[in-house]
Amino acid sequence: MKALNKEVSLLLSKHREKIFELWNKQLILRARSLVEAVGIDETKQMTLDILGHFINVMPDQDDQANDSYQKVLKILAAMSRKMTLQNITPSETAIFVFSMKNSIFPVLQDEFDEKKLADAIMAVNQLIDLLGINTFETYLESREEIINEQQQAFKEVSVPVVKVWDRIIMIPLIGMLDSERTQMMMEILLEALENSQSKVAILDISGIPVVDTLVARHLITAASAAQLMGAECIITGVRARIAQTLVQLGVDLGGVVTRTTMADGLQLALELTDQQMH
Amino acid sequence: MPNSRQNSESFEIMISNFEDIILARQKVKFLMGEMCFSLLAQTRIVTAVSELARNMVTHAGQGKMTLFQVDGKRKTRGLKCIFEDKGPGIQNIDEAMQEGFSTANSLGLGLGGAKKLCNEFKIESVPGKGTSISIIEWL
Repeated sequence: MKALNKEVSLLLSKHREKIFELWNKQLILRARSLVEAVGIDETKQMTLDILGHFINVMPDQDDQANDSYQKVLKILAAMSRKMTLQNITPSETAIFVFSMKNSIFPVLQDEFDEKKLADAIMAVNQLIDLLGINTFETYLESREEIINEQQQAFKEVSVPVVKVWDRIIMIPLIGMLDSERTQMMMEILLEALENSQSKVAILDISGIPVVDTLVARHLITAASAAQLMGAECIITGVRARIAQTLVQLGVDLGGVVTRTTMADGLQLALELTDQQMH
Repeated sequence: MPNSRQNSESFEIMISNFEDIILARQKVKFLMGEMCFSLLAQTRIVTAVSELARNMVTHAGQGKMTLFQVDGKRKTRGLKCIFEDKGPGIQNIDEAMQEGFSTANSLGLGLGGAKKLCNEFKIESVPGKGTSISIIEWL
């Protein structure tokens, strides 16, 4: 097997030019958008590099720590990553690798007899398949990275503080109130109360899809912290079905003033601070 | 719940973090919307699902939610959600169902509350083995 691999490697090296030409022709036929995205000259350079390393890997293809093997993987990983970012499908990236077969097999066909040909094709096949699978893995990895980044970006949606009137601030709460987010909301609320010397804070929960016991607990905690600072907390955006659900859950919001709409909340806040709308 | 028969394909959602809870809630809301449940029923059940799914994450680390439609007596239809985990289980179920009982520094209303939010509620738990809770909401 090893002798055959060496022979294949030598043969590929000898017909390097021909394989290179064939491969690039294949690419333009079968992976046009990829070639367009990468650029013709760069594609040529890349195929040339991969081919060179491939020939080096061939003699001992099972040795995955091999320097050339690692280099091929690196080139392919870089390409796969780049393609993911440019929204080129992973199939096209895979075709890039797999079309190498169509350029190598004709050469083997010309040079080897039937028995040898089968073995040689098997060996080449195995290696190219490995490389192809690798581009898929890289594709998945880079996708995961993108998803992770987006999740992070999503979490960073800040909690805005709106000063709606003299001594009245409002904080619209959106999305899911997990512990991190609540901690942030709490800090921002208390800091804003201190800095603006506000007496009333309106927390609007219209943007929270599900108000369960966790959200309720966070709201109660925020309200009691505000009360410690001498401020009143009004929770607005309590719709009919949320009220009903909270009652069935057995949540007691007794200590917290609640209103259905922002308008009602603001009205109450103005009364609490002895102010009037003119 | 012997009076219910599965009549649709089931959906399974693995739940191991708080993002998964959002997915679970969205799936339930979507299915209930499709089955034409009222908005109030949707809110109640989604809240119950939120409680039960979070219980799995906080107490067992992870678990599985299975959703499917069921047929009841007299041609009624319903949605059944099963929550299964392989966590530490519940030592005393009666105590755990009580208002204000919590081992996780929460309000202690989730489990008992979830029972009140849906039509049918069944809980089975073996300490050291895990917990299985199934709820049904009839249309």
